[in-house]
Amino acid sequence: MLFCAYKPLTNAIVAVKRNVIDCIPRNVLLLNKHSDRQISQYPVVDHHFDAVVVGAGGAGLRAAFGLSEAGFNTACVTKLFPTRSHTVAAQGGINAALGNMEADDWRWHFYDTVKGSDWLGDQDAIHYMTEQAPASVVELENFGMPFSRTEDGKIYQRAFGGQSLKFGKGGQAHRCCCVADRTGHSLLHTLYGRSLRFDTSYFVEYFALDLLMEDGECKGVIAFCMEDGSIHRFRSKNTVIATGGYGRTYFSCTSAHTSTGDGNAMVTRAGLPCQDLEFVQFHPTGIYGAGCLITEGCRGEGGILINSEGERFMERYAPNAKDLASRDVVSRSMTIEIREGRGCGPEKDHVYLQLHHLPPQQLAVRLPGISETAMIFAGVEVTKEPIPVLPTVHYNMGGVPTNYKGQVITHVGGEDKVVPGLYACGEAACASVHGANRLGANSLLDLVVFGRACALTIAETGTPGEKLSPLKPNAGEESVANLDKIRFAEGTIRTSEIRLNMQKTMQNHAAVFRTGDLLKEGCDKMDAIYQSMEDIKTFDRGIVWNTDLVESLELQNLMLNAVQTIHSAEARKESRGAHAREDYQDRMDELDYAKPLAGQEKKSFDQHWRKHTLSTVDIKTGKVTLGYRPVIDRSLDQEECSAIPPAIRSY
Amino acid sequence: MSLLRVCAFTSKRLNTQLLFVDLSFAGCLRTASGAAKDKEPLRKAKTPQGRFDMDDEKPKDPLQKFPDDVNPATKEQGGPRGPEPTRYGDWERKGRCVDF
Repeated sequence: MLFCAYKPLTNAIVAVKRNVIDCIPRNVLLLNKHSDRQISQYPVVDHHFDAVVVGAGGAGLRAAFGLSEAGFNTACVTKLFPTRSHTVAAQGGINAALGNMEADDWRWHFYDTVKGSDWLGDQDAIHYMTEQAPASVVELENFGMPFSRTEDGKIYQRAFGGQSLKFGKGGQAHRCCCVADRTGHSLLHTLYGRSLRFDTSYFVEYFALDLLMEDGECKGVIAFCMEDGSIHRFRSKNTVIATGGYGRTYFSCTSAHTSTGDGNAMVTRAGLPCQDLEFVQFHPTGIYGAGCLITEGCRGEGGILINSEGERFMERYAPNAKDLASRDVVSRSMTIEIREGRGCGPEKDHVYLQLHHLPPQQLAVRLPGISETAMIFAGVEVTKEPIPVLPTVHYNMGGVPTNYKGQVITHVGGEDKVVPGLYACGEAACASVHGANRLGANSLLDLVVFGRACALTIAETGTPGEKLSPLKPNAGEESVANLDKIRFAEGTIRTSEIRLNMQKTMQNHAAVFRTGDLLKEGCDKMDAIYQSMEDIKTFDRGIVWNTDLVESLELQNLMLNAVQTIHSAEARKESRGAHAREDYQDRMDELDYAKPLAGQEKKSFDQHWRKHTLSTVDIKTGKVTLGYRPVIDRSLDQEECSAIPPAIRSY
Repeated sequence: MSLLRVCAFTSKRLNTQLLFVDLSFAGCLRTASGAAKDKEPLRKAKTPQGRFDMDDEKPKDPLQKFPDDVNPATKEQGGPRGPEPTRYGDWERKGRCVDF
């Protein structure tokens, strides 16, 4: 029986006896993979491009059309239509020191970002980003992005995201440029529209399986077409990863179901390290089950958090500030209440946000639209019932390590070494501009600046139409074997069950509240869940639009991200930025910056924690190996902008 | 009644599960019973779509557009509608926070 799955028009599940030669274009390699009962043939199509971009969100689109504009024959491989990527959900704005509202300087933005990252950000990358910010925003505006304007017609900027003037001493800065309340949506549509002007080839609904690596060099990507089940190898000298974050490893997250860390997993499977995965940003009040965030304004207007006993528990944790304490205090208090058994609901895994004690008129005037939100996402009548909430993930600071030019690096012999042919940008990359904590409105800036940086670096180091080096004819075979194995998997546990186990374990053990014992227990549980992937069961044996198969492949990717996150968190014995531990509450730098520096002895690299974590995974056993690399403390040009020496971070 | 029997007979004979036979059978039933018993208008099932059919009034959008799209307090043109989203330190819209 021959499964000729190449023609999309016929039902591919029906065995078609036909001469296979008819439906194969040139350059096809047939791979035979045996499973117990049937021989499946996967027709493979080879493509040659000058550059391939994986992912078509904000960063991916910017890189793709930057490359097309420079004359490179570019392919954009994406599992979603470009305007459906998660960038579309960003409503806030982009920070840039344009100086439209008051006198501004990008060096002050640089200072704010370095401080926000808790001195874990690489200062050369932050220098690059903040210096390029005004030019990038003006460029977007020239592409047609409809920013909101002041009366004089300049771009209107508002205060957002911890921005200050004069290195923190000049008061609040107004730097955030936005497009009404749909900046991400508008950015994506502007970039997509612009990219259609150049002839980028879009391969939409192609799931990228793996990188094609040979001798430590990246020679392309192998992908699976979801529409007709064919395998495609995109050979290229330059591959850009822009696949986004991995929020879906946690039970409660704001990210789309498609944020599964595919880029991080591809890099891990290629044997390269991922950086700083333990830094995950949480928000205290996300709606249980839906994942949308409830604004802090609810608590600001008088809303209170209550546990299953109806007690306003914040009075115990923060007697003065109560519900208006800072985010991390609130998140940790909520988690402690849930852990101690005072959570609400049948599984006692969330708390309640009560607003019905406030006058309904006040709610309607101060927080318009909240009753609609509560009804749609939580199914509650906000004037009568409380909203179920729990701490929710909404950004991943970690990812694929790169230098400030966007080239992926690995750390060998104490030195950063560039991986030839591989680049990364956006949330998937870790440049690292956000360090241990991301400031609001900096992530959209990160997308456009580093998307552009990847395109510029590729344009500098390569030429369009360059001849490709030869690739082994069976490159990518392991990826197809894995796909075949998952497609015909006959274990006992379903994909959805394994995924729920992983999400619940991560939410209980590697969320906001982290202590040594809890993390250690979580690491053991995650290792067991990783092993349980061998016992996975899938139901759909077809090859055309097999969502069971794609979800299982995404689960494999999520699993790799999750084990690295929890092991890195367990190893990092300090509290820095978003990684806060109850048993090690202080930051551990090479010098104690809380006291005067004179007379202090510098701790050795092994003894302090102001360093990036690099994690790798042995795919078969799931064992995580951790290494470290130093933070880059020099800016790109000391005369133009001097680096900021570390200090205690307080706001 | 004989018409009914014929329909039943044919459906058993044909022994197919095709939907159109069922529909025609039901149609036979309606015409056979003379005047249609149900004088009420046809209602959709209690599907989400059906539920919305009852409610004719569209809920008013809680966020009103500014005149000429210019915010009178800050003179911002083309900005977000309703109260200032960053007033609580995060980006708030309709009670939801988007933090990007």
